[in-house]
Amino acid sequence: MKKTIYIITIFAFLFLVIFPLLTMVVSSFFKNGNFTLEHYLYVLNKGTLFLLLKSIGLAFAVALIATLIGGFFAFTLTKTNLPMKNIFKLIFLIPLFISPYIIAVSWVDFFIMFGNGKLFIYSPFGVIFILSLIFSPLSMIIISSSLANLSARFEEAGLMMTTNFKIITKIVLPLIKPAIISSFILVFVLSISEFSVPAFLSVNVFTTEIFTQFSAFYNYDLAVANSIVLIFICVSLLLAERYYLADAPFLSMSLKSHKVKLIELKRSKYFLIFIHFSYLSLSVIIPVLVLSIQSFQGNEAIFGKAFSLLSVNIINSVFYSFTGAIFLLFFGFVFAYISEREKIKSINLVLLITFGIPSTVLGIGLIKFFNTPILNFIYSGYWIIVIGYLGRFIFIAEKLISNTIKQIPLSFEESAKLMGASFFLRIKKVLFPLISDGLFGAFLISFIFCLGELGTTILVYPPGTSVMPIKVYTIMANAPQSLTSAMSLIVLLITLIALIFLFTGHKILTKQKWSLD
Amino acid sequence: MAIVSLQNISKSFGKTPIINNISLDIEEGKFTCLLGSSGSGKTTILRLIAGLEKSDSGKILLNGKLVNEKNKILLPSSKREIGFIFQDLALWPHLTVYENIAFGLNIKKEENVTIKISAILDFFGLEEHRNKYPNQLSGGQQQLVAIARSLVLKPKMLLMDEPLANLDVKLKTKIRNHIKNLIDQFPITIIYVTHDHYEAFKLADEIIVINNGKIEDTGSPEDIQKSENTFVKEFIEI
Repeated sequence: MKKTIYIITIFAFLFLVIFPLLTMVVSSFFKNGNFTLEHYLYVLNKGTLFLLLKSIGLAFAVALIATLIGGFFAFTLTKTNLPMKNIFKLIFLIPLFISPYIIAVSWVDFFIMFGNGKLFIYSPFGVIFILSLIFSPLSMIIISSSLANLSARFEEAGLMMTTNFKIITKIVLPLIKPAIISSFILVFVLSISEFSVPAFLSVNVFTTEIFTQFSAFYNYDLAVANSIVLIFICVSLLLAERYYLADAPFLSMSLKSHKVKLIELKRSKYFLIFIHFSYLSLSVIIPVLVLSIQSFQGNEAIFGKAFSLLSVNIINSVFYSFTGAIFLLFFGFVFAYISEREKIKSINLVLLITFGIPSTVLGIGLIKFFNTPILNFIYSGYWIIVIGYLGRFIFIAEKLISNTIKQIPLSFEESAKLMGASFFLRIKKVLFPLISDGLFGAFLISFIFCLGELGTTILVYPPGTSVMPIKVYTIMANAPQSLTSAMSLIVLLITLIALIFLFTGHKILTKQKWSLD
Repeated sequence: MAIVSLQNISKSFGKTPIINNISLDIEEGKFTCLLGSSGSGKTTILRLIAGLEKSDSGKILLNGKLVNEKNKILLPSSKREIGFIFQDLALWPHLTVYENIAFGLNIKKEENVTIKISAILDFFGLEEHRNKYPNQLSGGQQQLVAIARSLVLKPKMLLMDEPLANLDVKLKTKIRNHIKNLIDQFPITIIYVTHDHYEAFKLADEIIVINNGKIEDTGSPEDIQKSENTFVKEFIEI
């Protein structure tokens, strides 16, 4: 029975996500049934190459800035005795859960309100600025998880011989180097794949070009050839760091860490608190504040109008995201179980590669595969959106669950097995109660990510299934900025409510009499 | 007849050989210790007997019945009537002492569950702890709960994988003697894995010394202490 579930789940995933992508890759080498590289010649034109270089440069800048900022805060929040550091740690993560386009809209509002910055925000520098704000928390998580797992003994041994500064440069930095490199690569891949922020800021990059070629000019061949180039860049970078990234130890609801050696801050702590508050303002307070002001400015009715315009999309979004999160939870659990308990680690690599596929590229793959008479029943309904969510976020869901399963000794299940408990009973009575907080976290984080998905959804959504991000994106060009802001604020509030559920629910689930220790 | 018989068993994990063509018989009703250093393969032997691992070659017979063959488990773990005490004890942290012990009885749909649990709790002196969670018990009490959880199912054989490894020396001696006295009152075959030769000499009727997946020597504690085998001599001198 256990093997039947494994096989059905793996085949379902292959059919729904992997085959569409493979079909797209293979078809790009054929024209009228004959092998050709003709489509790739389109990529070699000056304009496309320029866009590619622009995207690479932009992603490089974001990766560098985010890793520097994330690394700095990872250090201060993990390795020092900074007051309120747990609160900072929690709030700094918020931008990671807010849909990138909402942060883009709020900063557009900010520059509109303060006049002369419009040129800046509607430029590649604006994109770099916003993406750096969005991805810095990711770098922070990766680097701080590495720092938290660094045993205090390494530094204490060093302290017998040298100074604190030397210990940081000669012991700590070399030991966390893999995390720093992984953070850089992951942010680079996510930035070069990012569609919504450049699209909202009208900055033409490689992903927006793919979207334009596909949806505006119906130039499928060029869109696919461009997509393959992007897949090649992303996947080869991820593969270079596969040993660290495929395992993704940083994607966890409750990381076990060593005893960390803390640096005692003296007078510098006041300056550091100021820096942390300033960053908090940039990443969370200003976006929320500005969106709120802009939404209600001049006309109180605008918020009501935004709500009525969005109401159907809210229902759609919540319903599809809920369905998507359930699917992600199921597939994520089965894959995590196969990876952790059956020790089939190759599954992590497949999921990592899927994660590296840019959202617009996934969208094109799904359209090409499902837009056929036989599979049209999937393509014409909301299931195609759910499949998009599955392809986009399965890596995150699987990692969150597998890092929770990893903390439960296999012997817990084996002793139940020896007593005669079936596979289902072992899962139900032993494993599920022990990983309930991880499952809950994976479900809600998946739900939040699905709520904000734009790149794939905007390509695949059939008529009548428009979701919140699409509505905001499409209305933006023809509506006053305050309406776009009000809509973004509503989306933001829904995300924040889901986040509150996440934190309170997680607290309730982890507050029990028993403990794993 | 031997209750457990391993015939030409080999087992590798990846390319690393763990058990190398081992054959051994374990007598019914005896306390047998598998003695060896870390990584010698003794835990793997225990897991093979329990049906938690498949062997690469050879056969395993329980009471004369073939239960494992090359890459095949012919009799599932749950039907082997074996109790297993894991090194980490594997007490389910979300279940109370009572619920931990009731788990197996409920699966086997046994009658008078409450009476049976009360009896075993009473026997092990754990009655007052029945509603506690494992993390609310001392290390010694946790050992007793793990043993009670296995014995309540009346297994024919109890496999113990270094159950005292995580205790300090003083507590280890105390618990070891206590366990020995308690288990002596159950008619059961015990296979006990340890790297501590003092523990093996104290507890065992029969000792099997294992090194690099091979048997170096077998015999009573007295026989092993007099062994002429170079490895055994060095190992028990440490």
